[in-house]
Amino acid sequence: MKAGLSTKNAPSPWVVLPHFLYGALALFVASILLFFAAGELSQFYLSPKVISLIHVIVLGFITMIIFGALYQLIPVVMEVKLYSETLAYITFFLFGLGVIMLSFDFWSFLFTTKVHTIIAGSLIILAVLIFVFNTLMSASKTKLNTIENKFIITSVIWLLLTVVMGLLIIINFSHPIFTTSHVQLMKIHVHLGIVGWFSMLTIGVASKLLPMFFIAHRLNTKLLKFAFYFINLGLVMLLFDLFFTHDLYVMTLFSVIIITGFLLFIKYNYDAYKKRLRKKLDVGMKLSVLAFIFLAISIVFGFFSTLTINFIRPYQTRVETIYIVSFIIGFLVSLILGQMYKTLPFIVWLQRYQDKVGKYKIPLPQDMYSEKIAKWHYYSFAISMILLFGGILLTNELTIQVSSLFFVITSLLYGYNTIIITFHKQKLEELKPAVKPGN
Amino acid sequence: MLDNLSPKEKEILAQIKTVIDPEVAVNIVDLGLIYKVNCDEENRKINVLATLSTRGCPVGDTIFQHIETVVTANNPGFEVDVELTWEPEWTPEMITDDGRAALDGF
Repeated sequence: MKAGLSTKNAPSPWVVLPHFLYGALALFVASILLFFAAGELSQFYLSPKVISLIHVIVLGFITMIIFGALYQLIPVVMEVKLYSETLAYITFFLFGLGVIMLSFDFWSFLFTTKVHTIIAGSLIILAVLIFVFNTLMSASKTKLNTIENKFIITSVIWLLLTVVMGLLIIINFSHPIFTTSHVQLMKIHVHLGIVGWFSMLTIGVASKLLPMFFIAHRLNTKLLKFAFYFINLGLVMLLFDLFFTHDLYVMTLFSVIIITGFLLFIKYNYDAYKKRLRKKLDVGMKLSVLAFIFLAISIVFGFFSTLTINFIRPYQTRVETIYIVSFIIGFLVSLILGQMYKTLPFIVWLQRYQDKVGKYKIPLPQDMYSEKIAKWHYYSFAISMILLFGGILLTNELTIQVSSLFFVITSLLYGYNTIIITFHKQKLEELKPAVKPGN
Repeated sequence: MLDNLSPKEKEILAQIKTVIDPEVAVNIVDLGLIYKVNCDEENRKINVLATLSTRGCPVGDTIFQHIETVVTANNPGFEVDVELTWEPEWTPEMITDDGRAALDGF
């Protein structure tokens, strides 16, 4: 038994691949929705069309791909087999259906009254419950007690709390449960999702993968440990404040604790970037580096959104919108776009060529997609984001619509590469033995 | 660690040099992943001791399988054993100059 090897623990590719295809389709749908939601987005981010758009992105694209990638990455990070592939399929179908139903209801502004929306939310919760169970059962078998594992395990618990809170908000519209206002409740839901679920998960996975792809060793994992405690502590206190005390000064203090955690994570990855042996970055890593620029923008705007300074107050909504948009569409989408190129080609490559290495002349994973197309969508995405930020800051609908056109281009090019990787086929030439020394 | 190789062992090392790490597109000998190559010609046995750059490497099994396939195909009649070790832990200093040049150009 070769301890530390993960390939034998890898799940069937057909557990993973549908998640990437669904995600690519969701990104395309989101890019179209952005065009039609431009008017609302230029005014306020907690409006029906924007909420629908955000859910298509965070659930349909980001979470769906994270689910798929995690089934592949759990064996890498935890050195165990996934607990159940059947449960993974069930999660996919329930979650996929729930996201379509929920996004449709949000877009049509039906969620305040309809039972339909509660069913959609329940499907998502059920899917997440099964996912969390599957992840925790897999994690229970690991012998490794690394900080990366702690991030992943904590993140799925925050995910569960996020979707439960989401469903409670929907129910609260017709059957009031909370005395807290809906805007406050949505802020709690948003922060559970972006700080609890996405950040914990992203930090856990990125801390393992980015140094691996950069080829950077001897990094200070204490930074990650402090990041873990700072972010979780800050988040718990922030949620308490949003629920009960509503004190802006206290909120600023808790935000500073969370931001400190993020800065430690950025420092860890910056060290990996500086110490990297692979000087030239491929397009997947360029998109990942771009993601960190958006994260920095989000942190700055997130911090300003908590300040009670007079000159910010008239622009409060725009600052909050940039904070949310920069984190979700900027940081997370960019990171997923980039990391797709670091995961999907390997998953397909292993399935197609694992038993052919050394016997046939086989392509490398990076030969399985068009690098040129990936570069084009790197630029189209960056342009789209600049225009989107500009449109939000200037409250200009047309600029956001132009941004959505670049987003459509991004999603089409990304979708094209996803499809050609997933359905990759190549005629192989047999290798002849006899290699002489010095070759 | 790869000093004092016999001509046959040098030949085997050259065969292993055709194994490419699919993530970085550099051969595993220049990456410093091969610690030992031992060929017992009398008993027809070849033993390769290798490591990986990181635990849980997603393509680890494939690399080991690749080494075994290449060495077996090029040395008919030999029993081939490819062993994984984490001692000593791989460090970037183990990459050869050729490996560094290949990584820079990647």
